[in-house]
Amino acid sequence: MTVTRDRMISGTLKFHLFLCVVFIFAPIIGSFVFSLNSDRFPSLPLGSFSTEWYRLIWEDPFVWAGFFNTMIVGFCVAVIATVLGFGGAYTDYRYKFFGKQIYMALALLPPTIPVVILGLAMLAYLSRIGLSGDLYSIIIAHGVMCSPFAMAIIRLRLSQMDPDLEAAAWNLGGNEWVTLRHVVLPFTFPAIIASLFITMAVSFDEFAVAWFVSGLHETLPVKVLGFLQGQVSPRINAIGSLAFVSSISLIVLAQMLLRTPSTRSRSASED
Amino acid sequence: MRHHASLFGLTLALPLLIWQLLFFVAPLAFLVALSFWTVRNFQMQPDFDVSNWVRIYTREVFWQAYLRSLILATAATVLTSAIAFPAAYAISFKLSESAKRWIVFILVIPFFTSYLVRVYSLQVFLSDAGILNAALGYFGLGPVLMLNNTFGVLVGLVTLCLPLVILLQTFSLNFVNRDLVEAAHNLRCGPLATVFRVIVPSAKVGLIIAALFSFILSFGDFVSPLYLGGGNPPTLSIMITDITKSGQQWPRAAVVAITMIVSLLIVAFASIRFAYKERGR
Amino acid sequence: MQNTPIVAFDQVNKSFGNFVAVENVSFEIGRGEFLAIMGSSGCGKTTTLRMLAGLEAPSQGRILLDGEEVGDKPTWSRDTPMVWQSLALFPFLTVQENVEFGLKMRKVPRKERIERARKWLDRLGILEFADRNIAQLSGGQRQRVALARSLVTEPKILLLDEPLSALDAHLKVRMQSVLSNLQKDLGITFVYVTHSMSEAFSMADRVIIMSRGKVEQIGTPEEIFHHPTNRFVAEFLGSSNIFTGVISSVNGDTLSVRTKEGVFEIRNQKKLEKQAGDSISFTVRSEQLKLDLEDSKPLLNSIVATVVGEEFSGAMANIFLETADGLELQVQKPHEEIRKLGVRHNRNVVAYFDPDQCHILSEG
Repeated sequence: MTVTRDRMISGTLKFHLFLCVVFIFAPIIGSFVFSLNSDRFPSLPLGSFSTEWYRLIWEDPFVWAGFFNTMIVGFCVAVIATVLGFGGAYTDYRYKFFGKQIYMALALLPPTIPVVILGLAMLAYLSRIGLSGDLYSIIIAHGVMCSPFAMAIIRLRLSQMDPDLEAAAWNLGGNEWVTLRHVVLPFTFPAIIASLFITMAVSFDEFAVAWFVSGLHETLPVKVLGFLQGQVSPRINAIGSLAFVSSISLIVLAQMLLRTPSTRSRSASED
Repeated sequence: MRHHASLFGLTLALPLLIWQLLFFVAPLAFLVALSFWTVRNFQMQPDFDVSNWVRIYTREVFWQAYLRSLILATAATVLTSAIAFPAAYAISFKLSESAKRWIVFILVIPFFTSYLVRVYSLQVFLSDAGILNAALGYFGLGPVLMLNNTFGVLVGLVTLCLPLVILLQTFSLNFVNRDLVEAAHNLRCGPLATVFRVIVPSAKVGLIIAALFSFILSFGDFVSPLYLGGGNPPTLSIMITDITKSGQQWPRAAVVAITMIVSLLIVAFASIRFAYKERGR
Repeated sequence: MQNTPIVAFDQVNKSFGNFVAVENVSFEIGRGEFLAIMGSSGCGKTTTLRMLAGLEAPSQGRILLDGEEVGDKPTWSRDTPMVWQSLALFPFLTVQENVEFGLKMRKVPRKERIERARKWLDRLGILEFADRNIAQLSGGQRQRVALARSLVTEPKILLLDEPLSALDAHLKVRMQSVLSNLQKDLGITFVYVTHSMSEAFSMADRVIIMSRGKVEQIGTPEEIFHHPTNRFVAEFLGSSNIFTGVISSVNGDTLSVRTKEGVFEIRNQKKLEKQAGDSISFTVRSEQLKLDLEDSKPLLNSIVATVVGEEFSGAMANIFLETADGLELQVQKPHEEIRKLGVRHNRNVVAYFDPDQCHILSEG
């Protein structure tokens, strides 16, 4: 009796989980399907297969401009956020100091501030100091928003490092800088790459703050927001699908790097 | 090992601190100052004038937007938490280790898809002649109004929050001591009673933090209310984007933004206090 | 130069916040000596070693390394390589690269680096693993890599922080002889921190026993084992039969000591300055404590106690006794004897000892 009942409960729960996943992924998969559909506004039954929308964005110079802007911003943000995040993660790992809680709060809080508020604050502040309305405005804002992610990823990796490892390198004659280069960097190397990819992916998809501060230099997500405000445009689906594929590739690469913690990196041993 | 400040330590610690002070703390602080500035001849001028505050706080549309934002965020939070819990419970208690890892990976994916694209896709699903109504039509039902109303907004907000809330709930359920559950069964506490008397209280902090994140995300979102809810009546987030994008009345937008932050802080502190409140004495 | 000690600690103190980790520690280490620092966890032995390595700076006092005061000198400017309890081998480097590390830090040219590393790998019998990953090695092999990595710079002194604690008993004994032989061959100083008496006593020329940040006793294993100077050392070495009392009379070499358990006559073999009225502690080793049944004739230096436990190890049995006052005693006897005597749980027995077979603790 109880066994059947337990099985029923368990089955119902798993089915509910399945429905949740369907609910979450329906718009994502839907967008992919719609992007290959001939209908301007798809409904059931679906129209015929078409690559029309991909051709349209391929031929749209504004989309290309947005794409290049997104790439430039993404690369710069990835590097800046990872450098800042590495410093923060190492500081947290190694040091205890007065006010550390405040330091950590400043480092980790940005994702909890609603993007509209962050966007308004950034726009007002950056235009006041003459830094608004350009690509570097987006880079600055995304640096703030992405460095907490970089910090979390690298901090997690550092927590797997034997604290004696650094001390051993000092003891063998390497000062702190040399040890950073020969021990800490090689050890955290997979996390650093993962952080580059993940912060880049976050920047690729961020539209709200970028929309506030970018002025005329729109990134692709800001462009999509523009499409959304205008008339119906299935081009959104095409752009979204491409963006999705590239983001997921980055995430899968990052995951693979994080999953193999003992990866040897030759970069450490060459000199 | 040496704890006095060294050039090395400062070189690593300071860049992040300086960046966040310059580009995170300063903008938010500037927002407070800005709310007291005045606008003359389409020019913002430093000032200390409470007129923006008076202006905003005496407008009925502001209070309507505030109320709507609160209701939407609360409804989305309750809905998301309720939908997420059985799912998180299934992941934490009913799945094998490898299935758990897979589902966690799957739930991370939505964070890296464009929310805008998902909202646009939802429009296609929910509109009067859209996918869902066409499907209902096969059964002779509908059309049901699902877009440009509160239902549409809530669907959007739940899409936004659900993956995060399931993940956070799963992590907190993973920390529930399995012996407690067996002890409860052993004391003749039924499966459902065990969930509400043992598991939920043990995972309370994590569940509340998950709900808090859902509230923060929903309260701040302007995309779902605008593109799935029709934007009328507006929420505070929509007000901010409207005011900011339509002219130089940024000080008024700042008033709205500060009101939002203060509201969020109050909700955050209250829920954290509630989460850590000890039972008994 | 050759006559100065390689290491001298002079009144060294180290505190972390309010916690005093090392207090007033002074000692010297001779060239080519194998010194063990022993104590239970938290006694300050590792902090002492880390100060010597330059990983911690002393709060007060002086540390001299090869005659030079090192105080604040960071570890990378000293030549005090250490073998870590966790081994701390670099997981992202091969065996060979691990061993080369110290040479690379000293900017030794690549060719010489490789040669010297291979020489040490060969010497420790792990040359065949040179290109392996650390993860592919066994515990004993890793140990050898850690040793090679520390010795490749040919230092005058090697510091070892419980390097064998992760190994199983069998391997431990083998590595002890490896270490012992290595130290003799190289003729350099080893400073070896451990909580294990068997490791310390089997390898070291001299042993320092520490507790709560202080030095309790310094001496050869022989001296410490047979002549512990105080109660802590005696207890630490496992003697449980410690008596404390006041001298009631002195008669030549024979002292009468009044304790809670009665009056005992003991021989002052080391001719310590003792007078009537002095308080005194002495120990009787468990194998020298004799046992009889309660109703036997009265004996010199006898104590009535109850059997509270037995423990058998090999041919010997340990009998645990407790007196009415709560003093715990331990007697070690062959099985046979115990069986003949008919010792049983809860039974009252008489333990007694010869006045010549007790050891007076010089520090009371």
